[in-house]
Amino acid sequence: MSRNLIINKLPAYTYNWLHMNEAQLPGVSVIEEALVAAEVPAGIQQGFMKADFAAQSGVKILTGAGEDMDALLADADITVQTFTVPAGVHVKNDAVRLRLSYTDQGFVYDSKNADAAGENGQAGKMNAFRYVLEPDSEMTVVMDFTADPAASGLAAVQTKICAQKNSVLHLVQIQQLGENFTLLNDIGGFCEEGARIELIRLILTGKNTYDGCRVELAGEKSSLGVDIGYLCKGDDHLDMNYDAYHTGRRTTSEMNISGVLRDRAFKLFRGTIDFQNGCSGAVGDELEDVMLMDSTVVNQTIPLILCAEEDVVGNHGATIGRLDDQLLFYMESRGMNREDIYEMMAKARIDAVIRKIPDEKTRQRMMPEAAEEA
Amino acid sequence: MADNVKKDKTFVDDIDREMYDFRFEEKDVYRVDEGLTPEIVNKISEEKNDPEWMHQFRLKSLEIYNKKEIPNWGPSIDGLNMDNIVTYVRPNTKMHAEWDEVPDDIKETFERLGIPKAERESLAGVGAQYDSELVYHNVKEEVAAQGVIYTDLESAMHGEYADMIQKHFMKLVPPTDHKFAALHGAVWSGGSFVYVPPGVSVEIPLQSYFRLNAPGAGQFEHTLIIVDEGAYLHFIEGCSAPKYNIANLHAGCVELFVGRNATLRYSTIENWSKNMYNLNTKRAICEEGGKVEWVSGSFGSHVSYLYPMSVLNGKGARAEFTGVTFAGRGQNLDTGCKIVHNAPDTSSVVNTRSISKSGGISTFRSSVVVNPQAENTKSSVSCQSLMIDSESRSDTVPAMDIRTDKCDIGHEAKIGRISDDAVFYLMSRGISEEEARALIVSGFAENVSKELPLEYAVEMNNLIRLEMRGTIG
Repeated sequence: MSRNLIINKLPAYTYNWLHMNEAQLPGVSVIEEALVAAEVPAGIQQGFMKADFAAQSGVKILTGAGEDMDALLADADITVQTFTVPAGVHVKNDAVRLRLSYTDQGFVYDSKNADAAGENGQAGKMNAFRYVLEPDSEMTVVMDFTADPAASGLAAVQTKICAQKNSVLHLVQIQQLGENFTLLNDIGGFCEEGARIELIRLILTGKNTYDGCRVELAGEKSSLGVDIGYLCKGDDHLDMNYDAYHTGRRTTSEMNISGVLRDRAFKLFRGTIDFQNGCSGAVGDELEDVMLMDSTVVNQTIPLILCAEEDVVGNHGATIGRLDDQLLFYMESRGMNREDIYEMMAKARIDAVIRKIPDEKTRQRMMPEAAEEA
Repeated sequence: MADNVKKDKTFVDDIDREMYDFRFEEKDVYRVDEGLTPEIVNKISEEKNDPEWMHQFRLKSLEIYNKKEIPNWGPSIDGLNMDNIVTYVRPNTKMHAEWDEVPDDIKETFERLGIPKAERESLAGVGAQYDSELVYHNVKEEVAAQGVIYTDLESAMHGEYADMIQKHFMKLVPPTDHKFAALHGAVWSGGSFVYVPPGVSVEIPLQSYFRLNAPGAGQFEHTLIIVDEGAYLHFIEGCSAPKYNIANLHAGCVELFVGRNATLRYSTIENWSKNMYNLNTKRAICEEGGKVEWVSGSFGSHVSYLYPMSVLNGKGARAEFTGVTFAGRGQNLDTGCKIVHNAPDTSSVVNTRSISKSGGISTFRSSVVVNPQAENTKSSVSCQSLMIDSESRSDTVPAMDIRTDKCDIGHEAKIGRISDDAVFYLMSRGISEEEARALIVSGFAENVSKELPLEYAVEMNNLIRLEMRGTIG
């Protein structure tokens, strides 16, 4: 069964001619799970379920991609993997490491010409994960989405998080997929009092990426931190929808998005700080930095601040363009050519995000030189 | 002093808009039937003695209107029923060039709004529209002697500028643009035509003022301004209406053609009554080296959709947009701007402030599009919002679509509340809390007031002060 998905919807629509309100993906079909290699440290309980996650967590968790991803998951009828940290357990020096390795599926998903995708049996894989952090607990989860560089196909991943009182989740998602691979990556989170979700997202390779993330900061002083680094080249298409939904008092959110576009790459970032009535004392910050390296790239950015509460502070800043002329001049005066300078600055953006990965083993794998320095 | 303030807080439940909220009974006016049908459009065309091309244009626009959907974004306009709107109301007078010839009630209206006084003191010319028709139009002799044309659009369409009107009318905002542009194309009436010849600098501003007096009516004036090569013009637009219990509609259209190295400043203080649906469309196109400066204050109307658009088509063209929006009780004001960079070395600066109070909703909505040919573009967007209370709502929805790497685009948005420290400081200097808050809000909106001629800046600050009354306690 294939579905016509409408995902990554802006919480408040704007001019239709901009084509930023949502992503339309016709003919998406998933049939089974991709293999997952899991390393689970002591103290963390792994489980499997088919039941509705809401029944276990007690809250309905909405995601960034939206309800169509829930419907896609229901179609797939797969087993949901759960990881639970018991109350009072802090797993600080180790991490749950999940490696999702995709093999070549023999088709390239194209949203502009996708009606036949499902009909021809071009079905992708889907995996779903649930992380439950009981009160006063902490864990790190590293999710690797990998495939051979030449692999094609489609994968969908949905992650839902219930962070109970004073718990902390460090979630790292690293994408190194094939040049003809499409990934639908969907995250939803719910934070109780004092809970924190830290998301580090690296998008390094892959043809089409649709990234949705919505976290409800319901409990007082709960918080969200998001750091995204991306490199898009060739005809890569990156479509993101991030939503920090503040309902609790004195909640905080911080989103930092940094990336590089080259060749004919396309990127759309939707970022929303949503202050609901009653979230007094909340603070939301969002900062985007996009380096454009070719005249054929397309960058779309739409940062929303929605506010129904007086006592809040919200900030958004974006800088989009080439490198600063003075910086270029300085570097060139030190003997570097322009191409090398851009390469170095692009790498620096990604490295800055990698350095924030709390799991040393992963950090070392992604950036051996930084690990050596440390 | 303290007693007076307390009395205001208790007594003034809603905003006192006495200056704008007065009305005279309609006398001997002509109005078409309510609703929108080909017969009504034919009737308007006949009444206005349209040339045939305009008659056909209206009918074609009506067809487009009937096919277009209402937007799936922005504030609800469910309360607007076109079947109840009268699209053409003609006062029982012709257009005059002397205020003494204008009927007493209409003259009194504009006197109370301060238009003749402003004309005497600080304007180069004035056009005054009452419901669907202009009742007064005049331009100072010395300005006319420079070759500047400032007249009503209908006269221009029948006179020596007929070809110019046909060449430009709704070419920048075609009826296919959106549903209410199509509506405008079908039933437009009134408005001004300005032509500034090459190299002419109009030192003092021209002003058009639009007053909608009739309940349940729509106003659809069309403003067409052409500023030729190297010329300069400052045009001011004002508008108001008395409040009725039924919906009124304003769907005007402004088209600005800014020639090579020319500059046009277009200032608006919009103060429609709070039963008004303000679905207005404004657009400017700039040739090489041309510059358009929008200064926009939005205070009135029940619902607004207003996003002046600047199309920078010539190399080195520039756009500036400075705006303030103040949404109070019962208001949902969706305002902002659109910029399209279509040529190299173009630049744009957007600087806006939004204020929401007493349940009002303000939304800043913008788009900056940089097309591939617009190399070396610079654009900066700054929007700041102030929430006065938690009954209200303030949203910012800025979009950027960048299609070249050779550009420098910056954006910043902030939202917050009036600082308690700032209020405390002012109160410690002997200023009441209400006055302190009004002062802070006036300062917050200074980006617009400092861009306006003094008289209009004073009016704007008075509006803010008026709106801020009764906000505490």
